[in-house]
Amino acid sequence: MRTPPRISLSSITPSNLGTLRKLNSVIFPVKYSERFYKDVLLPEAEDFCKLVYYNDLPVGTICCRIERSGPEGEAKLYIMTMGVLAPYRSRSLGSEALKQILASAASSQKPKITHVYLHVQVSNDGAKRFYERQGFVELKKEEGYYKKIEPRDAWVLERKTWSDAPA
Amino acid sequence: MAPTGVPAKRILPQKESTLFRTILQQYETKQHKKALKSCDQILKKFPEHGETTSMKGLILTNLQKKEEGLELVKKGVRLDLTSHICWHVFGLVHKTDRNYEEALKCYAQALRFDKDNINILRDASNLFMQVRNYEGAQDARFTLLKLRPTLRQGWLALAVAYHLNDRLEDAQSLLMHYLRIVKNVPDHDVEHSEVMLYYLRVLYDLKRWNDALEFIDLNVQYNSIIDRVALLEYRARVLSALGRKDEAEEEWRRLIKQNPDCYEYYRGFLSNRGIDLDKLTDEIRAETLGLFKGFCDEYPKSTTPWRIPLDITSGDEFKELVKPYLQKGLTRGIPSLFADLKSLYVNSEKKAIIQEVMEGFKDEYRDQSNPSKVADDASPAEYLWTLYFLAQHYATDPSTISTSLSLLDTALEHTPTLPELHMIKARALKRAGDYVRASVNMENARKLDLQDRALNSKSAKYMFRVGMIEEANTLLGMFTRKDTRPASDLEDMQCFPFLIQEGDAWTRAGRLNLALKRYRAVDKTYDDIEDDQLDFHAYCVRKYTLNAYVDMTFYMDSLRASPPYERGAISAARIYVRLHDDSSLVASSIPQQSVSEKKAKKKAKRAELKVQEDAKKGTGASDDKAEAPAEKKDEDPDGMKLLTAPDPLEQAAKVLRPMEHLTVTSIGFWIVSFDVAIRRKKYLQALKALRHAKAIAFDDAQLHTRILEFKKTISSLENLPSPMSTVIAEALPELFPAESSLEGYNSDYMQKHPGSPGAILGGARGLVVIRGAAGAQEDATELVFQLLRDETRLDIQTALDALQFLEQELKSPRTEEFRSACSRRFPLSTTFLSAEEQAAVRTEMEKSAAPEESKPELDSL
Repeated sequence: MRTPPRISLSSITPSNLGTLRKLNSVIFPVKYSERFYKDVLLPEAEDFCKLVYYNDLPVGTICCRIERSGPEGEAKLYIMTMGVLAPYRSRSLGSEALKQILASAASSQKPKITHVYLHVQVSNDGAKRFYERQGFVELKKEEGYYKKIEPRDAWVLERKTWSDAPA
Repeated sequence: MAPTGVPAKRILPQKESTLFRTILQQYETKQHKKALKSCDQILKKFPEHGETTSMKGLILTNLQKKEEGLELVKKGVRLDLTSHICWHVFGLVHKTDRNYEEALKCYAQALRFDKDNINILRDASNLFMQVRNYEGAQDARFTLLKLRPTLRQGWLALAVAYHLNDRLEDAQSLLMHYLRIVKNVPDHDVEHSEVMLYYLRVLYDLKRWNDALEFIDLNVQYNSIIDRVALLEYRARVLSALGRKDEAEEEWRRLIKQNPDCYEYYRGFLSNRGIDLDKLTDEIRAETLGLFKGFCDEYPKSTTPWRIPLDITSGDEFKELVKPYLQKGLTRGIPSLFADLKSLYVNSEKKAIIQEVMEGFKDEYRDQSNPSKVADDASPAEYLWTLYFLAQHYATDPSTISTSLSLLDTALEHTPTLPELHMIKARALKRAGDYVRASVNMENARKLDLQDRALNSKSAKYMFRVGMIEEANTLLGMFTRKDTRPASDLEDMQCFPFLIQEGDAWTRAGRLNLALKRYRAVDKTYDDIEDDQLDFHAYCVRKYTLNAYVDMTFYMDSLRASPPYERGAISAARIYVRLHDDSSLVASSIPQQSVSEKKAKKKAKRAELKVQEDAKKGTGASDDKAEAPAEKKDEDPDGMKLLTAPDPLEQAAKVLRPMEHLTVTSIGFWIVSFDVAIRRKKYLQALKALRHAKAIAFDDAQLHTRILEFKKTISSLENLPSPMSTVIAEALPELFPAESSLEGYNSDYMQKHPGSPGAILGGARGLVVIRGAAGAQEDATELVFQLLRDETRLDIQTALDALQFLEQELKSPRTEEFRSACSRRFPLSTTFLSAEEQAAVRTEMEKSAAPEESKPELDSL
């Protein structure tokens, strides 16, 4: 009977930054610096910083930044934040958002993005499993990564932008 | 040879005469500077030439030298009293000054000397339209048509004039001839199609159904009317009117199929069957519902066939229909669902049913094991829209606002990013009298989406309510032109809500000059809208859009009955009455400025000058810079001239006058009209206002005190002139029973409305009317305190009015006592707090609105 929900992404702009701040303040246990909010508005970040909508309600966010690594101008995409409001979890919003970000990364030419990686707090098993399902693998454990929240250690997870792994 | 009868002083030698004709051309093509030079050339040789003098004057008025120009125009007329050019020019200058009656007089003079001048006739006929002198327009256009019968527009212009002059028959026969004569119309010609549609309208208005039908069917066949929908709508109506029900029904069904969301089609369909939705018997109701059932099956996706039955059902039948309607709205996530159904709330049974159904949905969606969560199989969005609906539902009633607020807390925890939730919270708080928190919440909504102008305007509106006038202007400035102040851009854009909101805010702040400035800008804007018609009298005929033109004319006639004008006029008139009663208000409207404030003001002025200069530079130094109309300078930026106008009551009468002959449904208008009339000693006007007010709401508290005032004033008057005294003596008994005393009438009124806060306050005010403020102070104060009794259903607005009455009129020593009692009576409100206390609430709110601050900052990102 029910029509499936519409999931859509839209870019972050100076105008809807207030919505991003609101989401971050509700979803994450830490406060993000003004620097963070400046970076998400960079033109090169536009394809990688998004609000996630469920039936036109803004309920989630994914924000990444590009880190140049190789001498050839190659780069890695670092996922700074990804989160969805509690009532809307387990409804494929996260994987849908990640799928679109990965597609953008794959089609990026300047710079070429070889890898996507992120930190996950070691207490957050659910998140780790989620990323592993998306083809990420644990590279290492970084001790004392978080300075102000407990536990302070974090896993680093990474995957190639193009992968043969999951559909 | 000069034509006979031309005065010698008008005749110019050949060279100058040619030059004069060039001037006329140059003027037409707006080459004002060149034309001016040519004028001077002629005037050098013939300084007494009237027509050239006039033309020079006209050109100067177009070059922003109005006074000099006007002098010359007048001089020109004096020099050559029998020249149609001089009079025409004089008329044109009056027209630019919006002085239409004077302009018409000049045109009449001009036509005396050149009765067949087509330009003047055309100009005059359009001005006649502007001043609604349809007789004059008709005559001028009749002459024009005789002079130029081959011009198509002439026929149509005259037809419209006949139509508006209530000579539909003549309009019809003229148009019929026109349609017969016109040849060589290309296929699918939009303009010709419009004329035919207009002809159809005239036939319809004449109720010549058979002719209309014949005309329609002919055109359906030949496809010559392009607007098929309009044509078929006429066909359905005409068939209905002819009583050919079956054919009509078929036509209505066809229209509904084309647009199943058009209320008018359903009404037409039903009325063809003799059904009027507003007057249903039980039997017909069943039949009607059956018909709508059919439409619902046929058009399951449109809203209207589902919505109309909600208006005409009740009880279980209503419940059965409203449940799926609500369900569908929630599933689709329609934000306006509540607004759509609110009109049903006048019926308390329906309101209760909707509440029951919605509460049922809410329980269904909630997880049984954890009530704060949504059940797994339910959509979180649907649950959210349910909470949103219920929050609005409970906010309609002051006694359930706390329920609404707690639902909103749940909803905001669920999805804090939906601006609508913050908006409803703001509205609920506003209704609870907490304007400060309301404003903070509206601002929270705005911050979620800065490019949403609706949110921006709402937040500014809520700021105005708490007196944050400057802050509100800053907000509005985010969407207005950058080279001018927000207020002047919004005024240019004819933004009535802004003018009224800011006017109200200045009124509350006691700055009556600035309040008047805004309210009178409303009035001025309506003048502009009326003047905007001027171009359409000619344009619409030229473009053949006659239907739209006639509609516009009727619309314009009742323009000033629209709510913004009413609000602006009433508010301005109230201020003028206050100024008349208490001239010390002039001084108290202007706050004493400290030195630093003065400095700040100077600085602002300099900055503004700079902005203007920059704007000038920006336009570049083009040649026609001088010809471009210069930015109008505001002669009275602070409204001081308005405030100190010598006769405030005359001003009040002036803003109220345009509404007097219109259908006004607000009692406030007649109340303030009375206040103005009685002070101007216009007792018949006062009486008229009272009778109108009584017809709208006979037991209104404001009306009650005015009746007392009228009776008291009339009794104190001796020797009124005889026709007036007779009229008043005859009319008075229906307002004020002959056997009553003033005091008796006042207490009767209160006894008739026990427990009504309005009546109690009205009674207290009545005492002031009877005994004067000093004499009534004690008893009136006692009455005001009765408002606080448990059995009185006191509302916030009446409490605020009462407080103001105690403070300003009675100057009662118990004002503070009443204020704090109200504060206790309305625990959610902040409006009874002092300004400092309100500011403290706001600061605290804004602090707690940022829970972020307590979180650790992430430094590694």
